Amino acid sequence: MDARLFEGPRERGITLMAARDQHGVGAPFGDRFQVVGRAERKVDGLAKATGQAVYTDDIQLPGMLHAKILRSPHAHARIRSIDTSKALALPGVHAVITGRDMPIKYGVIPWTPDENALALEKVRFIGDEVAAVAALDEDTANAALRLIEVDYEVLPAHFDPKDALAKPEVQIHETPEKPDRGNVSKHVRLEFGDVDQALEDADVVLEGHYRFHGSTHAPIEPHCAVAQVSPDGVLTLWSATQITHYVHRALARVLELKESRIRVIQPCLGGAFGGKSDPFALEFAVAKLAMVTGRPVKMLWTREEVFYAHRGRHPMQLHYRSGIRRDGKLTGVDAKILIDGGSYSSFGLVTTYYSGQLLTGPVHFPTYRFDSTRVFTNKPPCGPKRGHGSVQPRFAFEVQLDELAEAVALDPIELRRRNWQGEHTHTVNGQRITSNGFLGCLDEVERASGWRERRGKLPFGRGLGVAGSMYISGTNYAIYPNDMPQAGIQIKLDRSGLATVFTGGNDIGQGSNSVCRAIVAEELGLDPDDVRVVAADTDLCPVDLGAYSSRVTFMVGNATIDAARKLRRLVTGAVAKKWSVPENRIFMGRGEVFDLEDRSRAITSREAIQIAEALHDTLGATGSYNTPKLGGDYRGGTIGASPAYSFTAHVVEAEVDVETGRIHLHNCWVAHDCGRALNPMLVAGQMEGSAYMGLAEAVMEVHDINRFGLHAGPSLLDYRIPTSVDTPELHALIVESLDPEGPYGAKEAGEGPLHPALPAISNAVYDAVGVRLRELPFTPAAVLRALRAAGVGPKARAAQQPEGARR
Amino acid sequence: MLRLPKTRVAKPTTVAQAVALLVEHGEVAMPIAGGTDLLPNMKHGLFEPEVLVALGGIKELQRFELQTDGTLILGAGVSLDRIAADERVQRTAPALAQAAGLVAGPQLRRMGTLGGNVMLDTRCQWYNQTHFWRQALGYCLKKDGTVCHVVAGGKKCVAAASNDTAPTLMTLQATLVFEGRSGRREVAIDDLWHTDGIHNKKLGTDEILVEVRVPPRATGHRGAYGKLRERGSIDYPMLGVAARLDVGRDGAVEGADLVLVALQARPVRVRRAAELLIGVPSSGDNFAEAVAAVAEAAYAQAHPMPNIPGDHEWRREMVPVYVARTLHAAATGTGPVHHV
Amino acid sequence: MASLLLNVNGDQLEVTAPDHWTLLEVLRYRLGLTGSKQGCDKGDCGACTVQIDGEPQLACLALATLCEGRAITTIEGLMPAHLRAGGKGPDPLQDAFDRCGALQCGFCQPGMLLSAKALLERSPDPSRDEIRHALAGNLCRCTGYTQIFQAVELAAAEAQGRAPTPPAWHPDGNPWMPACSKAPAKGESR
Repeated sequence: MDARLFEGPRERGITLMAARDQHGVGAPFGDRFQVVGRAERKVDGLAKATGQAVYTDDIQLPGMLHAKILRSPHAHARIRSIDTSKALALPGVHAVITGRDMPIKYGVIPWTPDENALALEKVRFIGDEVAAVAALDEDTANAALRLIEVDYEVLPAHFDPKDALAKPEVQIHETPEKPDRGNVSKHVRLEFGDVDQALEDADVVLEGHYRFHGSTHAPIEPHCAVAQVSPDGVLTLWSATQITHYVHRALARVLELKESRIRVIQPCLGGAFGGKSDPFALEFAVAKLAMVTGRPVKMLWTREEVFYAHRGRHPMQLHYRSGIRRDGKLTGVDAKILIDGGSYSSFGLVTTYYSGQLLTGPVHFPTYRFDSTRVFTNKPPCGPKRGHGSVQPRFAFEVQLDELAEAVALDPIELRRRNWQGEHTHTVNGQRITSNGFLGCLDEVERASGWRERRGKLPFGRGLGVAGSMYISGTNYAIYPNDMPQAGIQIKLDRSGLATVFTGGNDIGQGSNSVCRAIVAEELGLDPDDVRVVAADTDLCPVDLGAYSSRVTFMVGNATIDAARKLRRLVTGAVAKKWSVPENRIFMGRGEVFDLEDRSRAITSREAIQIAEALHDTLGATGSYNTPKLGGDYRGGTIGASPAYSFTAHVVEAEVDVETGRIHLHNCWVAHDCGRALNPMLVAGQMEGSAYMGLAEAVMEVHDINRFGLHAGPSLLDYRIPTSVDTPELHALIVESLDPEGPYGAKEAGEGPLHPALPAISNAVYDAVGVRLRELPFTPAAVLRALRAAGVGPKARAAQQPEGARR
Repeated sequence: MLRLPKTRVAKPTTVAQAVALLVEHGEVAMPIAGGTDLLPNMKHGLFEPEVLVALGGIKELQRFELQTDGTLILGAGVSLDRIAADERVQRTAPALAQAAGLVAGPQLRRMGTLGGNVMLDTRCQWYNQTHFWRQALGYCLKKDGTVCHVVAGGKKCVAAASNDTAPTLMTLQATLVFEGRSGRREVAIDDLWHTDGIHNKKLGTDEILVEVRVPPRATGHRGAYGKLRERGSIDYPMLGVAARLDVGRDGAVEGADLVLVALQARPVRVRRAAELLIGVPSSGDNFAEAVAAVAEAAYAQAHPMPNIPGDHEWRREMVPVYVARTLHAAATGTGPVHHV
Repeated sequence: MASLLLNVNGDQLEVTAPDHWTLLEVLRYRLGLTGSKQGCDKGDCGACTVQIDGEPQLACLALATLCEGRAITTIEGLMPAHLRAGGKGPDPLQDAFDRCGALQCGFCQPGMLLSAKALLERSPDPSRDEIRHALAGNLCRCTGYTQIFQAVELAAAEAQGRAPTPPAWHPDGNPWMPACSKAPAKGESR
């Protein structure tokens, strides 16, 4: 898109939320929280611990068929014809479908619908879906796949984004209407202030090239979906998805059904991390097969298929140029980023914006330019992985900050303090910042790691590194334009004393249902055990946009307060009326209701609810949340605009074995400003899990293809996620800044704490051995090469290739 | 779920019955012990035996004895976990105990057997993959194809022996006892191997490994195993180093052996190890110098191929590092050499 | 199709399954014991860990037919066994996992729990290092393992009559939430 200068964000006033969406940071009764802030059990913890929790593949329906998908063995090919007759003739096979059965394209971003449920005219990576079979059992379905004959015209393929740009004549997505588009998936160039002048004015300008490799989510649960069609034509889909709402919309579009005739349910979900955000071929396939056969159909992907589905972290090549003055103040940042998108758009439009838009805090720089290009290649499609689009630039920038600190002889923590953007301000690209606890995060990691006593003073080979980051708590960019709420809640409160919360939010293990329960229990003064949560069922629950962009606690939390407060007023009002006291004398907490000025007047919550039900009739309420108008006043200015940002700092303690190149990670201190920890146990779990995932992709995980374009190792043996002995001690340090707009002040905790892990390792390695690692992954082989190139450790022997060996 | 191909399972209770079953069914039968290697390979379509002859119910394969003369008799069916944890093995054959304790992860060591590890199929990044994956690149020399993807124009399979225990048993001069249609035979483990990644063992299809015999060692026996892998658990070796030192009363090395695994189709002995170490005191600068010389000799001899996953040039660089560390660990009794 | 006699969680069960079915497939799709999970297909992740004769092993690499005559314990077996033994609620280790937040998505945890349970049986008060190594065949993608270690340590400490120190993030004045077996009376603050 065109460059557009955006000026003066700091002069603009702070945008306020609608009254409905603001609930304050305090407890609903008195000054003490009863449930919030405590390490409460999760809603579903014991169900999971005892094996009772039902995940998608645990569903077995009478007469259910099993489906499998035929995949392309070619990286890029045109489909001339598909003959399914032999497969259909195999006993036990009930249906075979191809792209022609579902020709309508879709895409999770409505502006880039470039996917087919099953390939129609072309296949674009090895593993692309071509046909699906439903049979009595998996063995029969697998046998049928081998009988499907596909005639391919094999086309040249692109595996390198630079090649894909250089040779647009081999076009992965044909765009006859835009012949110049080539293989560019999305290009964004935005400039804020005069960067060139700012760099000229700097005392030191550093320039560096950084590389971020691909990584994937690898949730332990593989994708699975089950579909059933009722005799009157209602399609029910159970799917291991993290966004029921978008699957619902995509099914309606592709299957040409009314949304009201489709029900999507997310059962218990075995991990997602962004990898279950897109609608996937298996969801369309089981639905279509169920419609064709009249029988329930299940498809469970193998681990190999999960790797082909991917939608993981985009590989990026990043070039950063930053200026700094001798007083340690940054003057400007200039970034150019090449993004390898893989074969489809997925969330790529957003990724491309995020690669630049989310860098502008907690460190302030007065001028900024980024130029990001996402390119199609014939590889498994990339998408949103925890810290979508911003982990890669964050890595590059935080390493460069360490270099800048050295250049002006400043402690890296001090450099970050000196350039802190402050709170209740705007970023250089016009994003509104409310609370900002970054300084507290720096203080915590500095203290806990013994930074002042230890950094630069540990024995050679051992070092400490710091990095910081910022992340969104949801975004006001709702993917498809609409004026409706982003989060909705419904609560039923009845004479049994039970509150049931209905939320469209997707609990993917992060505990969003438990957050709903805690808020309802807090607001209605109930014992948390007396709150039940019904979630992620499009028939039963109000729409929520799903578990992505770290939006659930903030948005669903606010919507829950909104609904619960309406009910609270009904209950306190009814009790106050009955007792003939003012409403503000009624206290409700953990199952008890009493008069604050006469403690002998006390009843149970159940009795109070019955008083209210008698007075007001059946009790129920809805609640909603929508973001205020946010974002810079330019095209794309709303992408990355969040109602609140979380902040994180890490210090990593690493030891480098200079003989092997292996980085031993000993400790990772994670300080995270989550606004308010609604449940510190869950927040700590998110922080530790995030840090683990970032550390893992830095030192171990590589999602790549081999020279055939085939996934280099699509298994959990070859894609190595760390075991318990590979994970360092993780220290969660919670910082609470009490955001004015978050639910009780809360912000996100599930993605932000991943970001600093990777640059902090690089910075720790520099402290340990004086070698700057700018290219991920930090596998021992790569680190050893870097050490030797820098003359650290034993020298290399004369290189000697085995004869004929190929990489 | 990745499915196993259809097969039938026979459950003999004696070795003789098992051999008879293998003879009866010929090439379409395969023995299965712990199944931790065979079943993933079957799920990948690498083997499609019509009959599996299960060895788990055969008591003879569970022998576990330290005989009075010091011979260690280890039934092929004894789990790796038991071998790793057994005080007798730790004392008399520390390298073996260490290697057994570093195979794969905890659950797999409880299921996997010593026999299964010795008889492990060779591994390669182009081979240990699903049928779909292998078909997408036209298969390979070892299975269903004619092309080697490791060595351009290669006519001989270079899949890597990846069994951690095998090199330690070689340094311990172990004997393997097989039973087949023509009765029992004993084979020095050194003589088991072919340098052929497709079939790296000299073995009849009717033969079953019954037990492993580790001969008595001198009182000054010391051993260690070093394992290079990416993670601290689960992974196969990217390099395995087994070392043996026989240290005399005067502290000098009287015997030495060094065998590497996960480089090529068979475990390989570092030829000059004994020559460079014998006669050298087992500690101090002279020892360190000799160890450095052995490490260089190992480096000169070892040529890892890009057969198994991981950077093969780095694996080669790790040969002298792990050789030196493992020899020092053997000398000081501080093995295994492993990064966690 | 062979008829098998399996001992699962103390029950003698007759079930028919082809010889090429794994124990995991029989448990999940024949017996409806879906607590044992499938994550990797082939022995790489540990989600399918069950106890066979008391030892954590992988159900995805065990042929069901070869499990005849062996005592199989799945995650579904722990709470009933605890109740049979006169306990209250779930097994204290399951309870500790819940109390420590060790269950995020929960998918790896049935296997993780059975590995941890076996560890505590052979080593009632394990060090963190012992716990790390005992669980090194069970991949978890959510937690970074920390809260799992804490759960095992909590269960071990309570079994020894000690209360471990809560982690740094734990709010002041709010020590470990009580175990299910010590659930507070109604109205009592937890």
